[in-house]
Amino acid sequence: MALELSIIIIRDIFQDEAGKKSRYSEEYKSQSALIILDKQDLAGIGAKEGEKLLVKNDVGSIVVSARLSEDTHPGLAFMRSSPWSNQLVSDATCEAGIPGYKGIKAAVQPAEASAAVTDISEILSRIKG
Amino acid sequence: MAICTGCSLLCQDIEADVSDGRLSKAKNLCRKGHGHFQASFSERTFPMIGGKQVDLNQAIARAAEILRSAKSPLLFGWSNSTLEAQRVGISLAEKLGATIDDTSTFCQDSLMESILSGNLPSSTLDDVRNYADTSIFWGADPSNSHPRHLSRFSYYPRGEKRQKSYEEERTCLVVDVRMSATAALCKENLYRVSPGGDAEFIEAIISVLEGKIPRVGDKKKMIELGTLLKKTEWGAIFPGPGLVYSLQGNMEILERLLARLNEITVFKVVPMVGHFNTRGFYELLREKTGHVNRVSFKGGEIAHGPEQSVMAAAKSCDAALIVGSDPLSSLPFGTAQALARLPLIAIDPHRSLTTDAAEVVIPSAISGLEAGGTAVRTDGVKIEFEPIIEAGIPADEQILKRIMEAI
Repeated sequence: MALELSIIIIRDIFQDEAGKKSRYSEEYKSQSALIILDKQDLAGIGAKEGEKLLVKNDVGSIVVSARLSEDTHPGLAFMRSSPWSNQLVSDATCEAGIPGYKGIKAAVQPAEASAAVTDISEILSRIKG
Repeated sequence: MAICTGCSLLCQDIEADVSDGRLSKAKNLCRKGHGHFQASFSERTFPMIGGKQVDLNQAIARAAEILRSAKSPLLFGWSNSTLEAQRVGISLAEKLGATIDDTSTFCQDSLMESILSGNLPSSTLDDVRNYADTSIFWGADPSNSHPRHLSRFSYYPRGEKRQKSYEEERTCLVVDVRMSATAALCKENLYRVSPGGDAEFIEAIISVLEGKIPRVGDKKKMIELGTLLKKTEWGAIFPGPGLVYSLQGNMEILERLLARLNEITVFKVVPMVGHFNTRGFYELLREKTGHVNRVSFKGGEIAHGPEQSVMAAAKSCDAALIVGSDPLSSLPFGTAQALARLPLIAIDPHRSLTTDAAEVVIPSAISGLEAGGTAVRTDGVKIEFEPIIEAGIPADEQILKRIMEAI
């Protein structure tokens, strides 16, 4: 089943280090293509840590890995700032011209068994249209 | 000693051995800085036109041609360039009648505007190290974004008036929507706000400072916070993107809190900009135009506002020069798509999504490692540096000057 969550974009030093070295490495992908979920929410969609999840909204959709949060925050999820998270961020802004990086509404559900984590080459193709 | 341009703290105590074409020894680098130094030896760019390798002169000539024929060019990036390069970039924007915006647009600009205009009291990080007894990280997680912030300035060091430091004399507080890595350091002093609830939380603090019962939060904990703030001798607030996004550009409420706190004691706001010279760009552009970013020089007139931001300009401009930035990775999908449809010129030391989508790629030296210059630390301290590697690659400043001459 799909669960509607609010996603907040955060920074992570390990991902940042990997991104500085290469945007195209497996290390950067594994540190970026993930969503951090509350224990209750992860159980609610019938998934476990490390499983592939489909995250989808009006802007786009991606397949990422599930990570279990050490904190408690039902209804809230976290993603690291990256080309993966930006697939879900709308370019609509508030009056001050600020996009909604801190509260992206998206549906999260287990991905199909055959689905692979979205690759950066796929993201670049989508951007280039 | 070398400087690290991996973030806006510009650590100047780095010992690095890069003599044999790799980072073989390093001292004082944080994990982020270590990645920045290691990146000098991987994924470097080459001069390219339309995906084919060319010589540098051809790439520069093609870049000049694109900009010369554009009616509404956008010049974007700048936070990872020296003041010298930024100065040339602003002149180029003026000459072209272009829109100019920076990598940290909408992330820190409203806060910086408020600090540079004197509406928010600020100080250097050296004063924080010497005097601060209360450090508040608000929507900020320096353990991940500015890793040596706590050890060099805000929590652990023994400053002039804070010899007993974090053991006895410094308190660290976090206001955040989550238990961040920094919040885990000061667990009982984590004040959790709901997403978008920062303005309400500020009102609650003002109420407590005025002896009223706060409307939000755990009342007992809020009263304890009020007592702690009143007892503070010299406090510092470090606002991160979490607070700036939440306030949606409305700095008036933060200014009101600081005014109230400063009636009681000393409180400063020290920004935490992300890239190594974001503040330098803000100061230079403000000096020239009165605005920190989002400026257009079209028709010889200065215009400023959301219409001049990269978000809007990506859809209205007809070419873009991107300097030291990867907006195709860091901006919302629709904006990245709009940029990718344009003839893009990317000046960058490293391969990225943006260089891979660019019509023209011009490789540049990494500031601090391969090129010298001047930058402004996040707290406003100007720092000059020399390169430690002779790479023979032109710096942003030289490339921009050559493009300008060719135009």
